[in-house]
Amino acid sequence: MNAVIARSPVRALARKELGELRRHRMIVATAVVLPVAFLVLPVANLLFYDPARAIGGPDFAVGQAMFCFFLTPVIMPATMAAYGIIGERDQGTLEPLLTLPISDRELLAGKVAAILLPTLSASFAIYLLYMAAVVVVVSEPVRTPALDWSWPFGLLLTGPLLALFSTLTGLVFSARSKDVRVAEHLSGLVLLPSMLPVLLIVTRTVEPSLVAWLGFAAVLSLLDYALWKLALRAFDRERAISTV
Amino acid sequence: MRGAEPAIVCDAVSRCFGERLVLSSLTLAVERGEILGLLGPNGSGKTTTLRILATLLQPHGGSARVLSYDVASETMEVRRRIGVMPERPSLYERQTVEANVRLWADVHGLADPGEAVGRALQFVGLEDRRREPVGSLSKGLKQRVALARAIVHRPPVLLLDEPSSGLDPLAAAAMENLIRGLAGEGTAVLLNTHRLAEAERLCDRVAILREGRLLHLGTPRQVRAALLGHIVEVELAGAVDLPVRRAIESFPAVRETCWAPSAIRVRLTDSERDTPELVARLVSAGARIIAVRPAGDLERAYLELMSQPLPGSLAA
Ligand SMILES: Nc1ncnc2c1ncn2[C@@H]1O[C@H](COP(=O)(O)OP(=O)(O)O)[C@@H](O)[C@H]1O
Ligand SMILES: [Mg+2]
Repeated sequence: MNAVIARSPVRALARKELGELRRHRMIVATAVVLPVAFLVLPVANLLFYDPARAIGGPDFAVGQAMFCFFLTPVIMPATMAAYGIIGERDQGTLEPLLTLPISDRELLAGKVAAILLPTLSASFAIYLLYMAAVVVVVSEPVRTPALDWSWPFGLLLTGPLLALFSTLTGLVFSARSKDVRVAEHLSGLVLLPSMLPVLLIVTRTVEPSLVAWLGFAAVLSLLDYALWKLALRAFDRERAISTV
Repeated sequence: MRGAEPAIVCDAVSRCFGERLVLSSLTLAVERGEILGLLGPNGSGKTTTLRILATLLQPHGGSARVLSYDVASETMEVRRRIGVMPERPSLYERQTVEANVRLWADVHGLADPGEAVGRALQFVGLEDRRREPVGSLSKGLKQRVALARAIVHRPPVLLLDEPSSGLDPLAAAAMENLIRGLAGEGTAVLLNTHRLAEAERLCDRVAILREGRLLHLGTPRQVRAALLGHIVEVELAGAVDLPVRRAIESFPAVRETCWAPSAIRVRLTDSERDTPELVARLVSAGARIIAVRPAGDLERAYLELMSQPLPGSLAA
């Protein structure tokens, strides 16, 4: 897919997608409110950590915080991706787009790039801010587990894969639904169970070791590849312009 | 560009939706520099034809080619060479005029997209509105943005779906002039319309469609003659006299005559072929002609054609 993104029609499409996304109030609101909430909650959680009242100890508290950072790249793309194809069809702009010399791969790659960019920027930005807050204001006993190397490593490795997973799921449903909201709900149903591995790691049911992260990343990569193929199949040009 | 066949060719093109045949063995061709109008009521298959040529729909029978490239199997080659204005308003309303046209220039991979956008906007007379969001423009100006977008890569073939529908007469006339200008530069134009007057005014040839079948294809004059039965009205300065009467009665192409004190209505075998000869004969008989015009109410003939029961077999 990298080779496809580097080509200029994809860049032009991605730029146009970003311009469109920026002008949708619902999408901008989600893209702002969600990361802010997912930054404030974990910081507050650790800042006001009280060993006497906390359940599950410091590891559990940090795990709770980390869950927010893994959730962001999964939730943020959902609305944008569900809108991706069906939304553009409803708006009437998909039809002329399909008369341009672009392949299905290029069209989808443009949409994927435009969704990943804000998602990953926000996901990593709030994590950086959180780390800064941990270094500056958070004290023991949660400080040490919060600074454990395996969290930034895991997030950097699996964050983009999770975001891609969510984006492609949304696009598959967007290509096959008759309505943006239906696409959104259906992809939500798929995304929830996909958070199970993350839940296992942040609760330390599975230790956040190198092997665990690599294994998780390998599974996600395979899933993403399969979803990319599925999205290409789900996208049907005649269906995409039909209004009946 | 391959071969010397016309820029647009439909060769017995058919298309179904489910069980329904909405386009039935349509055959037509558009030459470079020619404007061909697809004329027909709603649901007659105009948009379907255009979408097949624009690679949006597959033909289910026959074949269609743009500059000799097959629309079903050589889609990318076709897409590089066509400019399309769809039926529905289809611009990014929240983005500027310039951004809308620029996207097309970029996707076509133009060497100097900025220059191309400037030229296209200048052509449609919108260079001073380039920074305004499309949503703030009138319908007529939006259609011009859509045209600028369709021509930004200077396509040799233009497919326009009802380009002036919903425009006031002034804006529609402006759109017609732009289209004429493009054809004048050698662009092959296929356009859809449901307005007979527009088809007559703008198109070099008109194809009349009904329920997916081609009923007539020819110049507006030929179509008019076909619909109205080749009737010509000649108005004279004075009364119809004997030499004039003789001149007409001796002309073998005259099938039927209707006399008025200072006007004659004749039905000719082929009004396009026979009118010049008729006029010449009248003049040499001493007639002082004020006007010669095709007679009859075209609008009414068209409506009648559209409400007649269709013959069982193909009318192409
Ligand atoms: N995607 C589609 N699915 C089913 N029927 C369609 C579709 N598109 C067009 N039709 C039908 O095909 C016929 C021709 O439509 P169209 O080509 O849009 O006509 P026109 O442009 O002349 O109004 C209509 O009866 C229309 O309902
Ligand atoms: Mg139509």
